[in-house]
Amino acid sequence: MSGIDECLLEAMRLPGARGAAVVDWTSGLALGTVGDSPTGDHEATAAETAEFARLAAEHKTFAPAEGADWAGGEPPVEDLVVSNRDSYHVLRFVRTTFDSSVFLHLWMGRSDGNLALARIRLGEMAERLVVG
Amino acid sequence: MTAVETREPPGRKAADRSAHTGLSPMLGRLAAERASGVLTRDRGVLYLVDGQVVHAESPATPGLDVLLTAGGTLGSEGWWEAVSQAGAERRVGRFLVDSGRLSAGALELCHLGALYDAAYFTLGPNSGPTRFRYGVAHWIGPVRPVSVAAVERETLRRRALLDRIWPESATDTEPVERTGRRADPSLPPRRRTVLDHVDGERTAAAISLALGRPGFHTLVDLRRLAAAGMVTATVRPAAATPPDARPPADGPPARPVPPPADRPVPRAASDPDIGLLVRLKEALEAL
Repeated sequence: MSGIDECLLEAMRLPGARGAAVVDWTSGLALGTVGDSPTGDHEATAAETAEFARLAAEHKTFAPAEGADWAGGEPPVEDLVVSNRDSYHVLRFVRTTFDSSVFLHLWMGRSDGNLALARIRLGEMAERLVVG
Repeated sequence: MTAVETREPPGRKAADRSAHTGLSPMLGRLAAERASGVLTRDRGVLYLVDGQVVHAESPATPGLDVLLTAGGTLGSEGWWEAVSQAGAERRVGRFLVDSGRLSAGALELCHLGALYDAAYFTLGPNSGPTRFRYGVAHWIGPVRPVSVAAVERETLRRRALLDRIWPESATDTEPVERTGRRADPSLPPRRRTVLDHVDGERTAAAISLALGRPGFHTLVDLRRLAAAGMVTATVRPAAATPPDARPPADGPPARPVPPPADRPVPRAASDPDIGLLVRLKEALEAL
């Protein structure tokens, strides 16, 4: 079992998980996907979530006070949360030591999902994905 | 247990067969016959195993070695040790992970990104004739194979993405220079880094190499900088010359000359306003 697949399967074990993906937000490329996607097409969903992630990562408004300088490959934003009437989306930026623009996307049902737990676990997964 | 999709989701197959017509008919045939070997075009190479793409390289985008060593993920001695230890067995990727130099996830993220980038350039519109040599394998070894259909879909999607940002493609391939317009203070840091490397001589490929950054990312940033009026290509595609700027011809007014076939023409504009602005800009600069 490989790194990306392991990470995605772990995300799917979170309560309420419907689907997950690893996405490059500069290009909109889906590097790996699992489960369902809200549009029925993982690649289309990846392109849309990538655009959303890019805006958050590039706009000063969302950067910490000390600035958005990507020191040591650290993305200025940690995660993004979107809620609607029936589901949650959590996008977690992945810090890498090589130049990249990658995030994890988890989609989960609102009635059985646990947003606080998902945020913590996705943070840990993002770290383990690149550190091993 | 949830199955991870590494193959095509059902329902995609019909669309995929027709998608093969766009980029390289040979590639579609090789996928269908589950071929193994290397496909070579002017702007890069694709390695196939059992009809799936396992590796790709192009001079337009840095290789895995540059991407991994530029940011200090790997020391260059670590890279070369892996190549010398495991290159003959064609298991360099596996060796990097098994020896603890790199996590499987980091290798996959970096390698997949490099693969799709190199494939984008290799399958570009004027990449020349296609050749295939059966039985050739790359020394990086298995990492995370992807289907030919996925690579072709992604390549077409990327072309459309670039055209939506800015329809003029000259900044993809030609040396780029700053226009003199002051950089917007709200310019995102990653894009500013690209702008800082624009010196009138470097091309997108040279900037990517200098930054150790995936080649397609640089194309995206240069198109956004061009759209903002901060960067322009030093060489204009011949087709960009407005007909009115040509010397007057004898006889009836010259019809617009079709662009030379070896040049990508800025596609007429999904957004007519941008297309109009580009033509206006060209005409003003030609005065």
